[in-house]
Amino acid sequence: MKNGLTERLRQVIPVDRLNDWERDEIFDHLADYEPLVEKTVIEQLGILWPISSPLCFDFLGHLTKGLTCLSIEQLPDWVKGILDIYEAHGLRAAREYMDDVEAHYLCTIRGKKGLSLDEIIPRLLPYLRGLSGQSLEIQKAPSLYTDTRSVFLPREIIAPARSNDNFYLYKLLVSFLWAEIELDIYCQQQTAPEVLEDFFLSFEDQELAASCYHLLQTVRRAEFLKSYLPGLMRDGQPLFRLLLKDVDLSDSSAGPGNELATVRQWLLCCCADDPLPDLSDETAAILHQASAEKISYEDIFGATTRFYARVRLTGDFKLPAPLFFQGKLRPAEARMARLSRREEQKQQFIKALAAVIPHLSGAPETETEQTEKIQIPSINESESGAILSPMGQDGKNEQSTEEKQNDPRYICLDDGQIKVPKELRHLAREIENDLGKVPSFYIASASRMAGGRGKTPATSIQEEEGKALQGGLLYDEWDFRRRGFRKNWCMLIEKRIIATKGTFVTTTMEKYRGQILQLKRQFEMMRSQQRLVRRQQDGDDIDLDALTEAYADLRAGLVPSEDLFVRRQRDERDIAALFLVDMSSSTEGWVGTALKESLVLLSEALQSLGDRYAIYGFSGMRRSQSELFHVKTFTEPYSEEIRGRIGAISPMDYTRMGPPIRHCTKVLRDIDARVRLLLILTDGKPEDYDDYKGEYAIEDTRHALTEAKAGGIHSFCISIDKEAQDYLGYLFGDINYTFINDVKKLPLRVPEIYRTLTS
Amino acid sequence: MQITGQKIEEHRIHDKPFYLVQKNELVIAEAAYKNGIPLLLKGPTGSGKSRFMQFLAWKLQRPLITVSCHDDLSTSDLVGRYLIRGGETFWVDGPMTLAVRHGAICYLDEVVEARKDTTVVIHPLADDRRELAIEKRGELLAAPPEFMLAVSYNPGYQSVLKDMKQSTRQRFVALELGYPNADLETEIVAHESAIDEKLARLLVRIAAMTRGLKDSGLQEGASTRLLVHAGLLIKDGIEPREACQVTITQALTDDREMLNAIDEMVSSVL
Repeated sequence: MKNGLTERLRQVIPVDRLNDWERDEIFDHLADYEPLVEKTVIEQLGILWPISSPLCFDFLGHLTKGLTCLSIEQLPDWVKGILDIYEAHGLRAAREYMDDVEAHYLCTIRGKKGLSLDEIIPRLLPYLRGLSGQSLEIQKAPSLYTDTRSVFLPREIIAPARSNDNFYLYKLLVSFLWAEIELDIYCQQQTAPEVLEDFFLSFEDQELAASCYHLLQTVRRAEFLKSYLPGLMRDGQPLFRLLLKDVDLSDSSAGPGNELATVRQWLLCCCADDPLPDLSDETAAILHQASAEKISYEDIFGATTRFYARVRLTGDFKLPAPLFFQGKLRPAEARMARLSRREEQKQQFIKALAAVIPHLSGAPETETEQTEKIQIPSINESESGAILSPMGQDGKNEQSTEEKQNDPRYICLDDGQIKVPKELRHLAREIENDLGKVPSFYIASASRMAGGRGKTPATSIQEEEGKALQGGLLYDEWDFRRRGFRKNWCMLIEKRIIATKGTFVTTTMEKYRGQILQLKRQFEMMRSQQRLVRRQQDGDDIDLDALTEAYADLRAGLVPSEDLFVRRQRDERDIAALFLVDMSSSTEGWVGTALKESLVLLSEALQSLGDRYAIYGFSGMRRSQSELFHVKTFTEPYSEEIRGRIGAISPMDYTRMGPPIRHCTKVLRDIDARVRLLLILTDGKPEDYDDYKGEYAIEDTRHALTEAKAGGIHSFCISIDKEAQDYLGYLFGDINYTFINDVKKLPLRVPEIYRTLTS
Repeated sequence: MQITGQKIEEHRIHDKPFYLVQKNELVIAEAAYKNGIPLLLKGPTGSGKSRFMQFLAWKLQRPLITVSCHDDLSTSDLVGRYLIRGGETFWVDGPMTLAVRHGAICYLDEVVEARKDTTVVIHPLADDRRELAIEKRGELLAAPPEFMLAVSYNPGYQSVLKDMKQSTRQRFVALELGYPNADLETEIVAHESAIDEKLARLLVRIAAMTRGLKDSGLQEGASTRLLVHAGLLIKDGIEPREACQVTITQALTDDREMLNAIDEMVSSVL
C-alpha cells in the first residue's frame, strides 16, 4: 500500500529528496483516502509543489477540513483559489484562506456554479451605499470582515445552483458587515481608539473573550437586521435552517453545557424563526442584556465579561469556528481605518476652513445671527481657536430645525467668532464624533494656511517682474486680498497641438462602438425635436387659435393680426459649447486616457447633433507661461486632423485656471449663439507652481467664472475626484458641477451630462 | 352672451387637504400672503409642493387656480382671449386673470417649463404694482389684497435652458420643501395610502436608501409620492415587493445595475 503510494507520489513530487519526517507527514495525511480522492489530491499536490513546498504541507494539513466541506470536484477550484491568494498576499493569507474554507464554500450547500465578486459588485456596491448612506467600498480579501471604511468579501462563494441565491448570500454578508458599522461594534464613537483592544487585553484568554464579544454582537446584529431589514432575514430563513442542521450535527460532540455552541444554536434559531432552544437563566439574562435596543458600551462589555466567565465555567471545550455570516472581528484594522480617516478629515477640514476664513471674518454679521449667538465659554486662552457646538438640545435654537440639530456652528478664532458654513459643519460633526471635539490645532493650522498665504509674497514672481513680457496675450488676475486685479499679470500663450498618427482614436472608437451608435442616436433625437410654431406669416397649416382670435379682433373692432399659420419647425439648437480640458500633470495615466476617450465620444455624438463646439486644453507653469492648446476651434470641422490632436493630448504642468477661463470667455463672447456654454473637465483644484494655490487660486478662478457669467456664459464643471469637494460648489454654484468618482464611467458620462445640460 | 370659462367656484377647496407641516413653511407663506408677496416653492418632485398649495388655499379660504406650465404656454393662455360664437365676439378670462379678478391664489406649477418670455407677464403682478395688463382689452386689472401668486420648480434640473431669469426669481419669497423627515413621512404615507404604520415605515426606509444613491449615479431618490403609490398598490393586494418594483424601482431609473441594486434594497426591507 505504502509502496504504491510512493510510486504515485514520485510522479509529482521528488519524494526521494525529502527527509524522513517530511515523507511521513505526507503519508500520514494521504493514508486513508479512497483511490479517486487520493488521485485528485495527488494531482493537486503536483500543482502546488513547484510553487511552494511549505504551501503544499499546509494544504495537506487543511485537507481533511477542506474535504468535509468540499466535494472532490471542487478541490481543484479550491486549490486555484489558494494559489491566487498565495500569489497576491503570501503564505499567511493563503493559510487563512484555507482555514476559512467554510466561509468560501458553504459546507452544507453544494452547487456547481459559483458567483464571483467581480460579477456582482456593480449591483452590490450601490446596495451597500444606499444602505449605509456613506461611500463605503467593497474589496476582495481572503476573509470576511470590515474595517468600517471598506467591506472585505471573499472572492467567490459557491452556493446553490440558482445564481440568485448566490447573490443573496453576498447581500446577507454585506448586510451583516454593515450592521457592524451601524451598531458601532468597534466602538468608534468612543474617543479612545483602543477601547476594544484594551478591553480584550484584560482577559486571560483573549481569543475567547473576542469570540464571546463577537458572538454577542452578532446576536445584536441579527436582532437589529430582523427589525430593520425584515425582508432580508425572512428570505434567509431556509439558509439559516440548513446551517442549523449542520451545527446540530457538528456540535453534538461538544456536549451540553458548551455555552458558545448553545448560543450559536440559539442565534441560528432566532434567525431562522424556529422555536428557540432553552437557555440557562444566566445565559438568557446575558443575551437579554446584550440585545437591548439602547445599549451602552459598558453594557455590552459587561455582558461579554459575564458570558466569558460562564463559558470558562463549563470547562473543557473547543473554540468553535465562527458562523460563516459572522465574519471576523478585526479591531486592529478598524483602528487603522479610523486613524487614516481621521487624518483625511483633518486635511480636508484644514483645507476647507482655510478657504473660508477670510470671507467669513470679513462679512458683517446680521442681526439674526446675533440673536442665535451662543455664549463663548472661556476655552481659548491658550489655544488659538476652538469650535463651539450650540446648546441646541434645550430648545433655544428652534428656528433652525432644518439644520442638523447640533452641528457645530461657530469657530472662535483669535478674538473674533466665525460662523461655520454648512458643508464644513458636517465635517466638523464627524470629527467631533471621532475625537470628542475638533482639536484646536486643526483650526490653528487652517488659519495659518489662510493667513500665511496672504503674507508671504512669492519671491519667484518678483524676480520675474523685471523681464519684459512679450508675445502671447496678457490677462489680469484677481487678487482677493486687495479686492482688485493684478493688471496684465498672466501671459497666455496659445499653442497648436501637433496631431499624432497613433491608434488612440480608432481603438477608442472600436472599444465603444456600441455606445457610440447609441449616443449618436440619442443626440440625433435631440436634433430632430420638431416643434409647431404658431402664428406665422406662412406655414403648413392654418392656426385655428390665431384665426379665431383675428376674426374676433376684427369683430371687436381691433386690427387683426396677419400671423395665421402654423409652421413645423426644427427646434433651432442655437448652442455653442466650449470644452476646456485640464492637461495638468495629475491627469497622467487613467484619468488622461478617460478624458481623451470622453472627448472622442463627445465629438462623435456632437457631430450628429450639429451643435457648434470647440475643444481647448490648458496647462502651464507660472504666470508667465500659461498655455492654451487648440484642439478644435469653433470654425474647424471635426476631421481626421482633429482626431489626431485629441490623441495627442498629454499631461503637461500645472492647473492655473484663471487665464484660460478668461480667454475662453472672450472666445465665447465673440460667438453669436443663444446659449453659450463653458464646460470644464478637470481632476482637481486650481494650482500653479508659484503662489497660485489654495484660496488665492480658488478666488481667482471664481472671479474668472463670475466674469464669464456676466458675459452671459453658463459654466459647468465635470470633476474627476474621489469625492465631491466643497470648493466646487463655491466655484460653480451648487448645481453647476458634477463629480465622477469612477474614471471608467467618464467617457460615457460626459456626453450624457452634455445632453442633460442642453435639453 | 354668457361667458363660458372656468368658474371660480370650481376652484374652491372645501375639504381640508391632508398636509403635515414640515417646518416653518405655513407661517412664512401666511406672512407672505398678508404682505402681498408672491411665493416661490422649490423642492424635488413629489415632495408635496402642490399639496402644500392646496392646504394653504384651504387655510386662507381662497380659491386655488393651478396652471401646469409647458413650453407651448402662451401669454393668452394665461391672460385670456377673445372667442367668437354666433358671429359675435366675447372675451374669456385666462386662469391668471380669473384669479386676479376674484382674489384667488394663482399657482404656476413647474414654472421653468414655460418659455421665459411667457413668464415675463407675471412681473408687474409679482412686485409692488400688483397689476395685470390685459393688452387686448386695454384693461389694467389691479389685484385685490386677497390675490396671491405662487410658482414652483424643481432645482434638481441641471439644464442650462431651464433656469429662471434673475429678474423673475428675485420677486418671490422662496421656500424650500425637501422630503419630510422619517417620522413625518411615515405618517404621511400611512395616511395617504391607508396602510399600517409599520409598513409605511419600511417604505420610508427604502426611500431613504435610494436617496443615499445620489452620488452613485441616481438622479433623484424615491419621492414621497412614489411611496404613496406603492402603499396604495400594496393595500390593493399586490405583493409588496412587486408593488415596490413597479412603483419605485422602475420609476427611478433605466440603468440595469441600478435597477438591480434598488430591487435588492426593496427585498431586504420588505
